[in-house]
Amino acid sequence: MNWRIIGTLAAKDFSLFFRNKLFAALTAIAFIFYIVVYFVMPGTVNENLEIGLYSPVTLPAFTEMQEEGLEVEMVASEDALKEGVIEGRYVAGVSLPADMMEKLASQQKPTISLYFTPDVPQEMKDTVALIIRELAYLQTGQSLNVEVTEEILGPDMTGTPIPPRDRLRPLLAIMILMVEMMGLASLLSEEMERGTVHALLVTPMSIKELFIAKGITGTGLAFGQAVLFMLVVGGFGGGPLIILVALLLGAVLVTGAAFLISSVSKDFMSVLAWSIPAFIIFMVPSFSILFPGTITNWIKIIPSYYLVDIVHRVANFGSGWGDVWLNLLILLGFCLVITWIGISVLRRRVR
Amino acid sequence: MARDAILAEELTYRYGELTAVDHISFNVAESEIMGFLGPNGAGKTTTFKMLTGQLKPKGGQARLLGMDVTKNVEKVQGEIGVCFETTNLYEQMSALENLNLFARLFGMRSFDGNALLERVGLPGRGKDRVETYSKGMKQRLMVARSILNKPRVLFLDEPTVGLDPTSSETIRNIILEERERGATVFLTTHDMLEADKLSDRVAFMDQGKIVALDTPHQLKQQYGRRALKAKVTGDDGGLEDREITLDTPETAEAVRKLFSQEKVITIHSEEATLEDIFISLTGRGLV
Repeated sequence: MNWRIIGTLAAKDFSLFFRNKLFAALTAIAFIFYIVVYFVMPGTVNENLEIGLYSPVTLPAFTEMQEEGLEVEMVASEDALKEGVIEGRYVAGVSLPADMMEKLASQQKPTISLYFTPDVPQEMKDTVALIIRELAYLQTGQSLNVEVTEEILGPDMTGTPIPPRDRLRPLLAIMILMVEMMGLASLLSEEMERGTVHALLVTPMSIKELFIAKGITGTGLAFGQAVLFMLVVGGFGGGPLIILVALLLGAVLVTGAAFLISSVSKDFMSVLAWSIPAFIIFMVPSFSILFPGTITNWIKIIPSYYLVDIVHRVANFGSGWGDVWLNLLILLGFCLVITWIGISVLRRRVR
Repeated sequence: MARDAILAEELTYRYGELTAVDHISFNVAESEIMGFLGPNGAGKTTTFKMLTGQLKPKGGQARLLGMDVTKNVEKVQGEIGVCFETTNLYEQMSALENLNLFARLFGMRSFDGNALLERVGLPGRGKDRVETYSKGMKQRLMVARSILNKPRVLFLDEPTVGLDPTSSETIRNIILEERERGATVFLTTHDMLEADKLSDRVAFMDQGKIVALDTPHQLKQQYGRRALKAKVTGDDGGLEDREITLDTPETAEAVRKLFSQEKVITIHSEEATLEDIFISLTGRGLV
């Protein structure tokens, strides 16, 4: 193994990568964009339900309600109430009928109107409806004789919910790695299409040294940027070493994928065409963190799941080596398999 | 007697069912220029790739400077220079950066890229990106790259194809200079005039086989036909061609008749070209 040759080639690839105006711009813009997206996302979780209330009569149970987690704002008219809901100031609008007290007194059922926007989840609608029924009982002096017990599944996040931007962090890290995958795949396919790889292979360089140099370039670019991103967004909390190892494995994973993509690509457009499906597949596990419960266990067949899960658990829950060692091992396995397949197919094309 | 720089023994390569190179054997002595002639698809480039370690032979053996190419590919590649038919330079890098990169890959500690660029007729253009170069300039840079490590064996695949006369002449002069330096030159081409001008020996390749191999002079002697070509005034006053084959018992009488019976306007002798010989050997042209 000649490290002078490997170093020379890797330095050339780094230089060429940043001379490619498209990729240099794409890398810089994407990097800044991801950081901006991270900081634009809310850094805290608003757990209060903001409800607008139109009440033509004075009903103390409703108007003086100051429950934790519930903010009720009185509005002057039903139209103002609807407008507030449409503009997003209230999660729900509650309109009480003028004859509510009379109907309650005469054992009749008053009709209370609730207003929601179409995108409000059913769970939220049920919650608001439940609150209204509870308040109606309170107003009539009766209480519900119900015992409520709660069981927490998974980490108990009571009082420390994960802000949306921290849920987004693994997705952004994956996207940074994937952009570099495209960059390396493009660099490799260009090297083969222009025949420069043949010029390299008639020097004393071996094909093994060629792959090591390319691997160092791809892994270095992806890992460097992912680390920088995590530093900027404070993603190393909990276990910096674990996250570094996970990101390094992720960088190797996308380098292997770049070898695969470049072996079937002829130009930038075909690199793009092959990269987009890979992009989508590799991003899917991140959605399980953004929207918990929406994706089932099948995502564990996607290699990036293990990277995303490690980053999420360590950065957001403070998990340690003992909690994530199996995921690291599986991620390493995927890295080895994908890199081996990538090198095998690319080697055939180079030869 | 000079030692063999290149020795091919029963060299064979197949692409699936197609035998591209079919048990060819030849040698090239040190400091010799060997022209490898043949039409497209004859197997020249496949032979070129096997000799430079880019392809592993399916049969036979290639030896360079006494080393088995397959077993010592990296050692062999440290001693050779290769100029490809198609331009394969790093276009986003400057000429000097291209040369410096390859100098480092060859482990050269001191290397004067500017001097080399001057030698190939590209003085003062070293810092320009290759993408701004013309085809002729790129080809000259390709030749510069192939000789930067002072190779003992220089492989050139169609080095002057499609170039202007000045660029072609520059490259031909460099080939001759390299031979003077002591390098062995293996030149594949289908330009028979170039091969004739440069080569000490030429090999004709057709359908994967070597059909003839000798000095251009010997090939012409062996397979060619010398002739006198004349233009005479015809019966209608126009010009007509006459041809008399030399070196036959009837030549003297034919010449006498030509001058006594016809009005000769011009007359000159003509030697067989390598292309004529190739056609006579294979029944088809070089292109």
